Amino acid sequence: MSLRQRLLLLFSLTVAAAVAAVAWTVLVRIRYVFEQRDQEETTLFVSQFQREFQHRSAEVATAVDHLSASERARGMAFEIVQSGDASPYLTEAQTMAQDVQLDFLEIVGPDGNVVSSAQWPARFGYPEPAAADPAQAPFLKREDLPDGSSSLGLFVVREVHGAEPAVRLVGGERLDQTFLADLPVAPGMQVGLYSDSNATPNQSSPPDASTNITTAFDPKRLVGPSGDVPGAARYQKLIEEARKSGQQTNGILYLTDRREDSVNASAIPLKNQAGNVLAVLTVAISRSGMVEAQQHIRAIAYGVAAAGILLAIAFSLWIAARVSRPIEQLAHAAEEVAGGNWDVHVPEHGRDEVSVLARSFNHMTKQLTSQRERLVQSERVAAWRELARRLAHELKNPLFPLQLTVENLVRARELSEEEFDEVFREGTATLGTEIANLKTIIGRFSDFSKMPKPELERIDAKDMVARAYSLYANAGNHDDAKIRVETETSDEPMPLMADPELLHRALSNLVLNAMDAMPEGGRLTISAHPRGGKVEICVADTGTGITPEECERLFTPYYTTKLHGTGLGLAIVQSVVADHAGTIAVESRVGGGTAFIITLPRAES
Amino acid sequence: MLRRFAISCLLATLALPAAARTRPHYGGTVRVKIEGDPWQRPDGLPRRLIFDGLTTLDRDGTVRPALAVEWESESGDRRWQFRLRPGVHFHDGSPLTAVAVVASLAASCAANCPWNAVHAVGPSIVITGDSPMPNLPSLLAGGQFLISLVLTADGKTANGAIGTGPFQLTGFNNGVLTLAANENCWQGRPFADAVEIRVHRLVHDQWLDLGVGRADVVEVPAEQLRQAQEQRLTVAESSPATLLALQIADSGALANPTLRAAIALAVDRGALFNVIFQKQGEVTASLLPQALTGYSFLFAADRDLNKAHQMRGGLATPPLTLSADQGGAMQLAAQRIALNLREAGFNVQVVGTGTQHSDLMLRKLPLEGGEPAAALEALLRSAGQTPPVVEQTSAALFKAEREFLDQKTLIPLLYLPRAYSSSGRVRDLQLFPDGTPDLAGVSLEDAP
Repeated sequence: MSLRQRLLLLFSLTVAAAVAAVAWTVLVRIRYVFEQRDQEETTLFVSQFQREFQHRSAEVATAVDHLSASERARGMAFEIVQSGDASPYLTEAQTMAQDVQLDFLEIVGPDGNVVSSAQWPARFGYPEPAAADPAQAPFLKREDLPDGSSSLGLFVVREVHGAEPAVRLVGGERLDQTFLADLPVAPGMQVGLYSDSNATPNQSSPPDASTNITTAFDPKRLVGPSGDVPGAARYQKLIEEARKSGQQTNGILYLTDRREDSVNASAIPLKNQAGNVLAVLTVAISRSGMVEAQQHIRAIAYGVAAAGILLAIAFSLWIAARVSRPIEQLAHAAEEVAGGNWDVHVPEHGRDEVSVLARSFNHMTKQLTSQRERLVQSERVAAWRELARRLAHELKNPLFPLQLTVENLVRARELSEEEFDEVFREGTATLGTEIANLKTIIGRFSDFSKMPKPELERIDAKDMVARAYSLYANAGNHDDAKIRVETETSDEPMPLMADPELLHRALSNLVLNAMDAMPEGGRLTISAHPRGGKVEICVADTGTGITPEECERLFTPYYTTKLHGTGLGLAIVQSVVADHAGTIAVESRVGGGTAFIITLPRAES
Repeated sequence: MLRRFAISCLLATLALPAAARTRPHYGGTVRVKIEGDPWQRPDGLPRRLIFDGLTTLDRDGTVRPALAVEWESESGDRRWQFRLRPGVHFHDGSPLTAVAVVASLAASCAANCPWNAVHAVGPSIVITGDSPMPNLPSLLAGGQFLISLVLTADGKTANGAIGTGPFQLTGFNNGVLTLAANENCWQGRPFADAVEIRVHRLVHDQWLDLGVGRADVVEVPAEQLRQAQEQRLTVAESSPATLLALQIADSGALANPTLRAAIALAVDRGALFNVIFQKQGEVTASLLPQALTGYSFLFAADRDLNKAHQMRGGLATPPLTLSADQGGAMQLAAQRIALNLREAGFNVQVVGTGTQHSDLMLRKLPLEGGEPAAALEALLRSAGQTPPVVEQTSAALFKAEREFLDQKTLIPLLYLPRAYSSSGRVRDLQLFPDGTPDLAGVSLEDAP
C-alpha cells in the first residue's frame, strides 16, 4: 500500500471515527432524553389512572350506598329476612343496576348466597365470597359471565340498611375499554388493558372469580380504548413477565419490522386484595419521534462523514503533492537503482528532511556510478591481463618446440645431407604439428568470441540424449581405463524449443569434461526428465569431483581445473543454456563425482 | 196489594238492567297482545280461532265430534273412518270435503305421522296405519292437525289461512293480525265481531297496554303469574299445559347413556321451580302429570349431584351446547341448567335460540289433554320421538313411560300452566285444554 493510500485511509478513518463518535454520543443522549420523557409520561399516566380508579371507586361506592339506603332495597331485605323466600327478587338486581347504571350488581342473602345477579341471573343460590366483608375498600375482581368469559370490575360491598341478619349488595363497574377511553391519553401514547380469562369453566365448584387463574396469553384479550390494540401479540412477553412477577415491567416492543413502529412499553399489573394479578395495564409510547430524530442525526452523520472523507481525499492529495511525491520519486529512483540503472537523479527542493534524503540519494547514486565505472575498467584490465596470460601460456607451449625445431634445422645444415634430410623431415613434421596446435588454440578463442544466435526448432530432449550417447558411447574405452556411458530418459515426451546443434555442442562439452574427470574410468550418465513445465538434462560422472570453491568459479571464462584446458568450455555451455532461457547448475563433492544439470523450459504442445 | 205490586214492579224494573248485563253481548273487537309467532304450531293463538279439528277435547279431556261427526275403527285400530260433518264451509265459501281434509292432513303431517295413509271415501276420510292407532281421535283434536284449506276447488294453492273456525283472517298490517267473526260458522257466530292480535309485543308492554286500556287479553307467562296476582290482574290460568323438558341428543358426545343419566341427576328442578318459574306449575320427573296418570310421584325428581359425579366417573366430555326455546325465562333456565351441569363436571355453553344440532335443548312441549295414552303419544310426537304402542292401562302406560325415560333422551323438569290476563270489558274468558284462549266464547262488556 502506497504512502498516498495510507494517508488517504488514515485521514478517512480519522474523519469517520470522529463523526461516528459524535453521532453515537448524540444518539445515546437523544435516546436517554426520550426515555426519560417516556418514563415521566408513563408515570403521569399511571397516576392519572389511579386517580380515575379512585374516582370510579367513589362512584361505585356512592351508587351502592344509594341502593343500600333506598326504600326499595330495605323493603326487599325485610321481606327476604322475614319470609325467607328470596325468589320474588330474582330480577331485582337487574332493575337496581339499571337504576344506578352499574355494570355488576348482586344481592346476597343472609346465608351468603346470591339472591339476584344482574350480570348472571342464573347464578342465584350460589355463594358470593366477596360479600363476606362489607367494610372493605373498593377492590378489583374478575367476574365470570354466562357466556363463559369473564370481565374485570371494580367492586364495592355494602349492607342494606336496617336488615338483620344482613342482606348485602355487591356492586361494580366494568373495567374495560370504556374505562380506558375516559382516561386522558397523551398523543403518541397507546394504552391497553389485558385481563385474564377464566374461559375454562371451573369443573368442580360453583363459579368464583376471586381466584387468580393464569391462563395462556391471548392477544384478543388486550383491548384499547377503541377496541383491539395493534400488534397485541407483541406484548406477550412483557405482559407475561408482569403477570408472573407482579411488578411493573418495561421494555421496547417492535410492533412491525420497521423501527419507527416500536414503542417504549410498560406493563403494570392490577391486583386484587389478595395480591393476585387480575389484569395488566399496558402503556406504550411511540418511539417514532426518537427514531426519526436518530435517523435524521444518522443521515447528517453520514453526510458529514462523506464530506470528511472527500476532504480527506483532497487533503491527502495535497499532502502527497507536498510530502509523498518526493518520497515516491525517491522510491522510484531506488527501484531503478535496484534494477541496475544507477544513472538516476531525483529533484531536490527545499531544505526539509525529504530534500536532504534526495540529496543523499543523488550523492549515493553518483558514487555508485563512479565506483562501477572504476570497477568495470579494472575488471576489463584484469580480463585483458588474464587473456594475455592465457594466450601467452597457450601460445608459449607450441612456440617452444617450434623454436627448438627451427634451431635444430639451422644446426642440421652442418650435418650430412642424409642426416639433414632426416632432421628436416622430422622438423617439418614437428612444425606442422605445432602450427596445427596454434590454429586449434586460435580457433577456440575465435569460437568463443563468435557464439552464433540459436536457431530454435522443436526437438525432444530424448533425441539430444540419444545423439550424445551414440557419439560418446565408446569414446571412453581405453586400454587402461574403461568408462561406461549410460542414459536415463523418461518415457513421456519432453519437447524443447532449442537449437539442436548448439545444445549438442553444450552436451558434448559436458560429456568430454566428465570423461576428463574420470581418468581411472567410471560411469557417465546422461539423463533427461520432465520437471513440471521444464525439462532437466543431467550429465553426471563418478570422477574425482570438485570443491565448492571451484564450483563457484567453474563458469568463469578462462577458468579451468584441467592442465591443458582453455577455460572456455563451460563458459560456452552456460552461454548456450542462457540463450535457450535455461539455467545450469553443478552438484559435486570431492571423490563423489560431479553432476551438471541443465534446466530448459518445456515447449508448449 | 197495589202497593206491594207497585214495589214488585219497581224492583223488577231495577233488576232488568242487571239481568241484561249478565247476558253476553254480540259485537265489539277483542284486542289481544302476544309476544311470539301467532302461527307457531301447534298452539299459536289464532290457530284455534280460525281452524277446527276433526275432533275436539272438552274440558275434562273427552273426545268430542267437531268437523267429524262420527268415527269408527277396524282391524285392531289400524283403519279409521271419519265421517265429515255436512254443511260446513271454509271461510272462502268452499265446502268442507273429504278431499280438502285429506290434503290438509297430508300437509300438516310431513314426518313422524301417526298414520301411513289417508284418503277420501265419499263424505268420509279413511286413515290407515301399519300399527294400531288407538289414540287417533284424540290426536286429531290436537293443534297439529287442525284442518285448513290447502287447495281451492280449482286445484290451486289457497292464499292465506282459511279454515272453518269462528273467526276468519281478514288482514295483517303493521304487526296486527285482524280476524273477523265467521257469520256462518258451524258452531255458531262468536260474540265478538272481530279480534285484533298484535304480535311480537313484549309482555311488559302488553301489561302496560292492559293497564291503560289498550289491550283486552294479554299473555301472562308462568314465571310472572305471581306478579300478576300481586298486581291483582284478572288471570285465566290453565291446568298444566306445557312440559318443560331437557332433550338430550343420544349421539355424539352424549351417546353414552350413563352420561345422559348423570346430566338428568345434575339438574336442580327445585331452583327452576322455586325461583325462575316462581313456584308455578309443578316439579316432575315424569312425562304426564300426576292428575292424569296417578303414578307421577314414582319418578324421582330430586337432584343427586354426588351420584351424577359417580356416574360421570371422570369421563371427559367435550364442551356441550345447550339451546333453549324463546323466552327470557327459558334462557335463564338454560343458564341455570348449564351451571348445574358445570357442577357435575360438564362443560356446557348456552347458545342462542335457533341453533341447530345442539347437544342439549331446553324445550317447552305442549301437553294436551285427553286419555293418558293419547296425551303421552301426542307429547312424544311433539318431541320428535316415536311413541310406543301402549295399552290403555295404567300399568302398561307406566311401563312404557319408564322405559322411554330410562333412555335419558328427554328429561322432564316442570309442568307449567298457560295464563292470560283480561281487561274488565272481557267476559267469560276460558282457555282450551292446550292453554290457548277461547276467544269465540268471549264477549265484551261494552259491546253495543
